[in-house]
Amino acid sequence: MSNETSRKIEKHHWSYREGTIVTGLILLLGFVIQTASGGIVLRIAGFPWNLIAGLIFLFLLVLAFYRWKNHPIMKWLGGVKAALPAILGFTFLVLLMGFVKQDVEPKSALVRTFGLTHLVKTWPFMLINLYLMILLGITTLKRITPFNYKNAGFFLNHFGLFLVLLSTALGSSDIQRVTMNCYENETEHNALDTSGKPVEMPVTIKLLNFNIDEFRPKVTIIDNKTGQIVLNKNKNPFELLDRNTLDIYGYHLEVEQFLESSGKVGDSYVSLNEPGSAPSAKVKVTKDGSEISGWVYSGSYVNQPETLKLNENHSLVMLPAEPRKFSSELNIQTPSGKNVTTTIEVNRPFHIDGWSIYQLSYNTEMGRWSNLSVLELVRDPWLPIVYLGIFLMMAGAAFLFITGKPKDGGTKHVA
Amino acid sequence: MEELNMWLDFPIYASVAILCWLAASGLFLSSGKKLMNQLAAGLSFAGTALLLVFMTILWLHIQRPPMRTLGETRLWYAIFMSGIGLGSYLRWKYKWLVSYSLGLAMVFLIINLQHPETYDKTLMPALQSPWFIPHVIVYIFAYAMLGASSLVALRNIFFAPSDKTIKGPIQMADNLAYLGFSFLTLGLLFGALWAKEAWGHYWTWDPKETWAFLTWMFYLIYIHYRFRHPSEHKRAMTILAVSFAILLVCWFGVNYLPSAQNSVHIYSE
Repeated sequence: MSNETSRKIEKHHWSYREGTIVTGLILLLGFVIQTASGGIVLRIAGFPWNLIAGLIFLFLLVLAFYRWKNHPIMKWLGGVKAALPAILGFTFLVLLMGFVKQDVEPKSALVRTFGLTHLVKTWPFMLINLYLMILLGITTLKRITPFNYKNAGFFLNHFGLFLVLLSTALGSSDIQRVTMNCYENETEHNALDTSGKPVEMPVTIKLLNFNIDEFRPKVTIIDNKTGQIVLNKNKNPFELLDRNTLDIYGYHLEVEQFLESSGKVGDSYVSLNEPGSAPSAKVKVTKDGSEISGWVYSGSYVNQPETLKLNENHSLVMLPAEPRKFSSELNIQTPSGKNVTTTIEVNRPFHIDGWSIYQLSYNTEMGRWSNLSVLELVRDPWLPIVYLGIFLMMAGAAFLFITGKPKDGGTKHVA
Repeated sequence: MEELNMWLDFPIYASVAILCWLAASGLFLSSGKKLMNQLAAGLSFAGTALLLVFMTILWLHIQRPPMRTLGETRLWYAIFMSGIGLGSYLRWKYKWLVSYSLGLAMVFLIINLQHPETYDKTLMPALQSPWFIPHVIVYIFAYAMLGASSLVALRNIFFAPSDKTIKGPIQMADNLAYLGFSFLTLGLLFGALWAKEAWGHYWTWDPKETWAFLTWMFYLIYIHYRFRHPSEHKRAMTILAVSFAILLVCWFGVNYLPSAQNSVHIYSE
């Protein structure tokens, strides 16, 4: 570049105006390509192309930075005057996502053309993401050359976010998520991908046992005519049957007998432990001197529930118990020769050979008698980089907490 | 053993706390005497401590962390907000801030009195995680910090005629916003790590996540703007106030947004 043009740029400092124009153009370009391509759902190329693209991007970024380090535009790219409009542009897209329901069939042609129902997989989102990564990369490089420990917090926050954005964007197509329906004592090696297509898995899983722990059931009062729950403003319409006496809607309940797993024999209930048995309780209900006692039963996929008629208007109902915990005991075999027996539950997945196995669901109609356990298997090879970015950002947040706002605005330590 | 619905006692605790805080605010605003200020600080502490006692008993009774429902988060907010008000008074001696904070905390208690809590001991398996408590507590603490900073911002917008006259409290707005933002970041990242363990992915653009991210972005804008324009106070204060409005949408408004129907993430009523 000649000295003259360089001086011209020096004279006319790039500022917010240019930042806004660049961000606006990127968004415009994104929406134009999106529209022209007929509202396609974008996918980044999978391994190894995403890795190669990432390495080339990093290489070009570092090269460009050192080649034009002192150029005014490079300085502008690493500063707030480019960053703020870019953040605003990104915020604009996320705001759209905040109002338009995502991952559903678009209702109008306009929404479809612009890809508003799957914004993260559209051109404008990808381009603004790329632009943010360029800015974050440059500002990080700017601050670490030469390195000053006072910039540590800045580095952690910006480079952490850079890593998170880069690895989630590049890694998105390498993520495999499938669900596997496992029946008790059967071996399964087929799964369904997110679109419902069958996939053969490298691991085989045998469900040894599926187990549900339940909370005590809740009771409520219903209107005999409508069958609806009597809503009581300012009072809880449900009570958990975990104690011997309780008050609900002006009725006083005494639990004379509670059976966790039971079935009907004659006119009363007895403890049973076979498929379809459910909780029941013998209760005495008093209100204004009148007293009624009898059984309530929550019912199951086999048995009818039983309600207790209290008077002309109201009946007492026991609701199906809610799960406290559900877990699956699994035997897992991998092609690498591993043979593991383990128990997984919600919040306690099992990790093996790059796969994470999650407890997802079960046959909810059958409840605790379900012989089906639905597992989710997830593979996300880029996760370590995402986590590295997250941990850097956490450390950065801790820095922010300890040091607070830099007294001089922080500009002192910019090289 | 007979167990009572703890929330039936709530009006007593809340009324006494509100009385303490009203008296504290009155003393702070009317008197300049040191003794009176100390009494006011003592009263505002007493109100907060009383709510903490209630929260502790509640926690012991329901056998799950009391962080599941909107009412429970409002109670945490009232505790943190009043605590932060008192803390910032002890640190910076701004009496008006502690009065504002107590006022906001009272509003949240009154909302809870108007909409009594449903008493529900059950906690669905996905929420039974070691991440649950840090995630919610860090978030509500951040909300309280940022709420306090937006109070400072609003005062600066309405009571200071020019950029130059609001130099003093602006530092406090910054301090609160920075602290709040660091907690907001931690809450967001804790949520991501938890989501990976519970649902298999760290980020799914669930409406609550989208709005939490938006909130984070708006405070990010504030911080970058302040960094580059340390003396344009009024515009910065406006950004701070708007950011808090976004935060409120994330906290309460998401429940009513059409885009959020069927979200697994909303606090139950």
